[in-house]
Amino acid sequence: MAQTPPRPTPCTTDPDTAGFWAAAQQEQLVVLTCRQCRSVVHLPRPRCTQCGSEEMEWTVVSGRGHLYSHTVVYHQIHPAFPVPYTVVLVSLEEYPEVRYTGYLPGAPDLVAGVAMNVFFESLDGVSLPNWRSA
Amino acid sequence: MTPVPGERASGTGCSIVGVGTTEYSRASGRTALALATEASLRALDDAGIKAAEVDGIVRCTDDVVLHNDLIETLALPNVEFWAHGGLGGTAPSAMIGYAVNAIRSGSAKVVLAYRSLNGRSGRRVGAGYGSQQAVVAGGEEGGRYDEYFLPYGLTTAGQMYALIAQRHMTEFGTTREQLGHIAMTCRRNAQSNPAAQMYGRPMTMDDYFNARMISSPLGLFDYSLETDGACAVVVTSTEQGRDSKTAPIAIAAVAQGGSAGVQAGRTLSSLMRKDLLTFPSHLVAENLYRRANLGPSDIDVAQLYDCFTITVLVQLEDYGFCVKGEGGPFAASGALDTTLPINTSGGHLSEAYMHGMNHVVEGVRQLRGESTRPVPGAEVCLVSSGAPPATSAMILTVDR
Ligand SMILES: [Zn+2]
Repeated sequence: MAQTPPRPTPCTTDPDTAGFWAAAQQEQLVVLTCRQCRSVVHLPRPRCTQCGSEEMEWTVVSGRGHLYSHTVVYHQIHPAFPVPYTVVLVSLEEYPEVRYTGYLPGAPDLVAGVAMNVFFESLDGVSLPNWRSA
Repeated sequence: MTPVPGERASGTGCSIVGVGTTEYSRASGRTALALATEASLRALDDAGIKAAEVDGIVRCTDDVVLHNDLIETLALPNVEFWAHGGLGGTAPSAMIGYAVNAIRSGSAKVVLAYRSLNGRSGRRVGAGYGSQQAVVAGGEEGGRYDEYFLPYGLTTAGQMYALIAQRHMTEFGTTREQLGHIAMTCRRNAQSNPAAQMYGRPMTMDDYFNARMISSPLGLFDYSLETDGACAVVVTSTEQGRDSKTAPIAIAAVAQGGSAGVQAGRTLSSLMRKDLLTFPSHLVAENLYRRANLGPSDIDVAQLYDCFTITVLVQLEDYGFCVKGEGGPFAASGALDTTLPINTSGGHLSEAYMHGMNHVVEGVRQLRGESTRPVPGAEVCLVSSGAPPATSAMILTVDR
């Protein structure tokens, strides 16, 4: 049987998203916010989508959230992800409209709305924010 | 059901005058160029127009067949207009819109639009995004944001729609059985269409529930087919079309719709939009109904983009056939076989996956009375193109 290849790591050098991965390397979860109008810009864009300002900064959040949706994948597609596994969407406690993705092996019992906590796992030296039930 | 004559807007002044398709198969054994050429020649023959008269070409951005290639195989002497339009399934209606605009502006007189793919034997439609060999995800010129998805095993459109379906169930109590009704309607329609890949394979609700789970809550029959084949469409002015072999089918209106908040990128980043359960189809519907001066109650039959059952369910809401959240009960009510017949050729779920172009072809055949599942008296047909990125749709009507 073929060996499971490593999971792909995120690109950490895209100018628009690099700050997210740099913070993750420090085990901090961040969202992009506007210095002028304080809006959250998610996914990160090169300017504020509310006021047009280019003065953006990464704001640290608690890393607490709630399960927004999930799917258990049973059909093997990508060789790095043996089935079954679960993909979660988590909405942040401070900014419920902001969602991040998570990966859990297997098919754990999950119900929408349950509390989730971020943790950081290392993928080939890159720190990846991930989620598990609180 | 049928609008009073004179109530409709005057329309675009353009019509679809020819449609053509290849065989739909799992292994064509031919190039996408050969398939595109065959579908184009069939569409031209259907219209009674000589290939040499084609002076405009519209191609889907994802098609491997370039306009240049088709100019060669069709031996076109003078193409004055071409356009490349739209991502995958969001493209077909918009492509017809480019043809309309080219004709109205005088850039072309006979425009060919096509979609050709070896979606089963070549690069499989279900293979998902990003190279499976890539060790780094995302960062490709910015704006795609694959780095937020692929490292988590979220790699396909089906998995994304599964997350949408799960959330729709959480918020509105939508059930798998309701999704099953959409799959069953498409499958039933395919049983009268010998060209459909699922012809001769009827399905019960038990079959639907017994099929293996792919990405919960979506099972095998919530997924569209993967197909080798091609579709082509010929557009001219309606006036010119009245001289063609078959009755022109009028393009009453075409609309595209995109707005901030829909989220950029290709597909997966749609999961980050504020309102996950409303597609840009909602905006397209507003633009479309306004331009056509028609509303949902005027639609006699609809060809709704159905990459997955949930895609149809959300569009039933977005195009105003029921209120937001009621797509499930509406789908289960029997309406899709009676008051709002949908996907009369079987759609992506049971005819073929031609990235929305077979929906255009069926819209035309339905209004000509050539559908294998005819809707008696149908004069107004909605054709929607894909979601969840910014998308397009159109309304076709009989010419009168
Ligand atoms: Zn701002």
